[in-house]
Amino acid sequence: MTTAITTLCVIAAGAWLVAAVLAGLAAHRRWGLTAACVASALGGVCAVVAGVELALHGRAARLDLGSSVVGAARFHPEPLAAAFIVLLGLVAIAIALYAPRYHEPGLGTAVYLLVYNLALVASLALLAASDVVTFLVAWESMALLCYLLILRHHKRQGVARSAFLFLALGETGFVLIVAAFVILATHTGTMDLAAIARRAHTVPSAWRTAAFLLALTGFGFKAGIVPLHIWLPAAHPVAPADGSGFLSGVIVKLGVYGIALFGLELERGGPGWWGLVVMIAGAVSALLGILYALMERDLKRFLAFSTIENIGVILVALGGALTFTAYGQRAIGALLLITALYMVVNHGTYKTLLFLETGVIEHAAGTRDMDLLGGLIRTLPRTAVIMLIGVLGIAALPPLNGFVAEWLVFQGLFQGFRIPSHLVGIVIVVVGAAIALTAGLALNAFVRAYGIPFLGMPRSARAGRADERGMPIAGPALLAAACVFLAFGAPLVLATLQRVSRTITGIDIHAQLLTSKLTVLPAHADFSSLSPTYLAAFLVAVAVVPVLIYLAGRPRAKSRSTPVWDGGILNFKARMQYTATTHANPVRVTFDQLYRPHIDLERASDDPAGRSGPVHYRFTVSPIFERFLYRPVVWAVRRLAMLCRPLQSGDVNLYLLYVFVAVVVAYAIYAR
Amino acid sequence: MLWFLRGLRRGIVTTRYPAGTRDRWTDALPSAPAFRAAALTAALADRLEAACPSGAIRRRPNLLSVDLGACTGCGRCIDVGGGAVVESGEFLLAARRREDLIKQVPIDADPERGR
Amino acid sequence: MIDGPHERDHELDTTAAELRRRALSLFGRSLHIRTVDTGSCAVCESEIRLLAAPHYDLHRLGFFFTPAPRHADLLLVTGPAVRAFDDALSEVVAATPDPKATIAVGACALGGIYEADAFVHGAVDRVVPVDVYVPGCPPSPLALLHGLLVAVGRLAERVSRLSLELDPSNP
Repeated sequence: MTTAITTLCVIAAGAWLVAAVLAGLAAHRRWGLTAACVASALGGVCAVVAGVELALHGRAARLDLGSSVVGAARFHPEPLAAAFIVLLGLVAIAIALYAPRYHEPGLGTAVYLLVYNLALVASLALLAASDVVTFLVAWESMALLCYLLILRHHKRQGVARSAFLFLALGETGFVLIVAAFVILATHTGTMDLAAIARRAHTVPSAWRTAAFLLALTGFGFKAGIVPLHIWLPAAHPVAPADGSGFLSGVIVKLGVYGIALFGLELERGGPGWWGLVVMIAGAVSALLGILYALMERDLKRFLAFSTIENIGVILVALGGALTFTAYGQRAIGALLLITALYMVVNHGTYKTLLFLETGVIEHAAGTRDMDLLGGLIRTLPRTAVIMLIGVLGIAALPPLNGFVAEWLVFQGLFQGFRIPSHLVGIVIVVVGAAIALTAGLALNAFVRAYGIPFLGMPRSARAGRADERGMPIAGPALLAAACVFLAFGAPLVLATLQRVSRTITGIDIHAQLLTSKLTVLPAHADFSSLSPTYLAAFLVAVAVVPVLIYLAGRPRAKSRSTPVWDGGILNFKARMQYTATTHANPVRVTFDQLYRPHIDLERASDDPAGRSGPVHYRFTVSPIFERFLYRPVVWAVRRLAMLCRPLQSGDVNLYLLYVFVAVVVAYAIYAR
Repeated sequence: MLWFLRGLRRGIVTTRYPAGTRDRWTDALPSAPAFRAAALTAALADRLEAACPSGAIRRRPNLLSVDLGACTGCGRCIDVGGGAVVESGEFLLAARRREDLIKQVPIDADPERGR
Repeated sequence: MIDGPHERDHELDTTAAELRRRALSLFGRSLHIRTVDTGSCAVCESEIRLLAAPHYDLHRLGFFFTPAPRHADLLLVTGPAVRAFDDALSEVVAATPDPKATIAVGACALGGIYEADAFVHGAVDRVVPVDVYVPGCPPSPLALLHGLLVAVGRLAERVSRLSLELDPSNP
């Protein structure tokens, strides 16, 4: 069985390589595009099966490629990566189903799909890597391939800058990751990840802390922790829809994987405050992410900020796992780890779904601007239903998977009173309150993001002509089905993840998590419980029973139909409706000090009633991270570079002097 | 708290209508005009018709037709009519039929007719 | 002058009207009122608004204001039925479920002030069937309460038995 898992991974990677070759050679024809996507889907299926088997069995065989001459790539899938591998496979299948109808065959598509499938291979390699060098090479390849992915429409305005931002921040993170790995590798004397994990306790604690913080920041650049997140809202809108889905669904999770790797595997048993740092970073990310999301009109930028928020919640769960374990509550720690992995898979499904559907909306209605859409529930009915499932999931509404995950996170955090330290308890309470606020704001944000484009009247002529024919349905539908399965089959999924957590944390909480087949307990029987399956059945019954009662006891009296009362307004214009900007206005006013918006108001005349012409109102949120963090850093680096300029004077004699001094110094050091 | 104490001191100010006695301040409400038929001459009737701004009072042969539905309670008929027209004090005038609001008052054409 | 005790209306009516009365009397304990302004000067609205004030307090009688015609049992119509409001008025009347009652409030609505012309129908009962007419300009809130209680049959209307002639023996 263990070899089967590794074999499946190899087959998946092989299928993706085949897909890349097919795409590169033949995707300028329709048959080539379809064939590449079929290969990609097959690879995805293999990856899903491999991931599930890895989660259930906990062990996979090693694989060493290459030789001592070229350099070996070592792979050994670990259970921690299982959930991520399943997610990778699922997203790959969905995008493979989506791509043939979304992309037009051509040279650009060919290159894009080539790069995308290679990125899939790189991600799988990263998740299965057992060696520092393999990991770093896979990471860097993944980053470069994603950079090329974002550059799909490189001739359009702003694309090159956004892709560059992704690359620059990714590379900064990479340097920090390399530093973290180097610290651990030099102190433990080995490059093998499993060996580092075994010897991690021999590393002096200051170095361990440094490595962890470097890893948190380095992987945080990729995961999108505030304030390291600014590439997300820039890169997502300019990439094609399936590229954005891949970025949000898989790539940012790889950042989370890195943090989990360092926190749980490599530096097991770190001090409790590490978990608190992760929790606080997660809470801040979540809150700021959703607050900025509420101000966005562009659907993709909105979803990018929502990703930042969701990653924040995942990090709160992960940090909670670290904290509770460090303070002796290992059962709750295991619960929160299971929750974090569950949320990873959940977020991958519904966020990718939402991005894919945004691509459909953009193609069908011609715009991503919420303030120009409207009434899409009538013109794009199937898209509307599928997107609604995604929105219900991400807004954490019962009975879908987001709700189960949020419930678990809160139940874990609520049990913070079991930790003896009061300070830690207070921090956990504050973090919990921040996440609760985030959940409320997320609900508001998604009511806005679904309601404004889909309900009401179209706010532009182009949106009124939206057409669903020829739009991809299968990929998003698969992800919607996955959301429903993850919700109704939550006990099954949680049981599987529990086996993963047993391998990682060493304790088995199956009995405390799932006493009966269908009910979930938060690691302590006397605290609370939830049955997602019964809840779903109950909600269906609550919806159906009144309908049945009405049908059975329908009044026989004559009934009269009149239109819905609309206040007697006879000439309803689309411009009379709420827009996305006005819907979010209460939040904007409440958090004005955070947004510090720049407001531009132009009137045709000074007449306060504006009678003689239109009034233009432009509202821009202050980019505080660019202004107060990145620009000063860039300025400082530039100054440093200017100061170093004299070293490169161009004078050959000076360079010869440098060589001479270097030789003297080297001699002095090695002569000792 | 102050509001509560003030309320306790003042007592309940809500009217008891439709139960209970009439509130004293309803005497000041504008009400329909009432006519002393004995003092109502033809000439007075003509003057009343001219004085009414909404046309509620109309002169018919031997009759004064008063449309309570058109009466605004302005009181000009009372000013013009001398003692012949007074306030009736009736202001609860809801009617189920519109014609119930049109009242006839006979004009005493012959001033010599006895009481 | 009639100044006797208030008594229930015992008039014999046709079956349909009696049924309607019965239906409306069901609302006697809980009536939801929707005000419709068909072009008034808004003074009648001020008096209607005062009904909710502590002095008159229509809630103690079981009457409530509602903005939604779907929830309304009674329409309180003011104004002389301006023609520009026709479509909206017919929409309100259609949106209010049966059985419903309509009260025309104020001299404008009763046709006493405006004649029918190009801009105005002149009286509300030319556009919608009216159950109770409440005269006044504006009618005081007590007159409005009386009209509401007459509409639901809790009080008898008195004006039909009213005479404007002063009793000669009682100047």
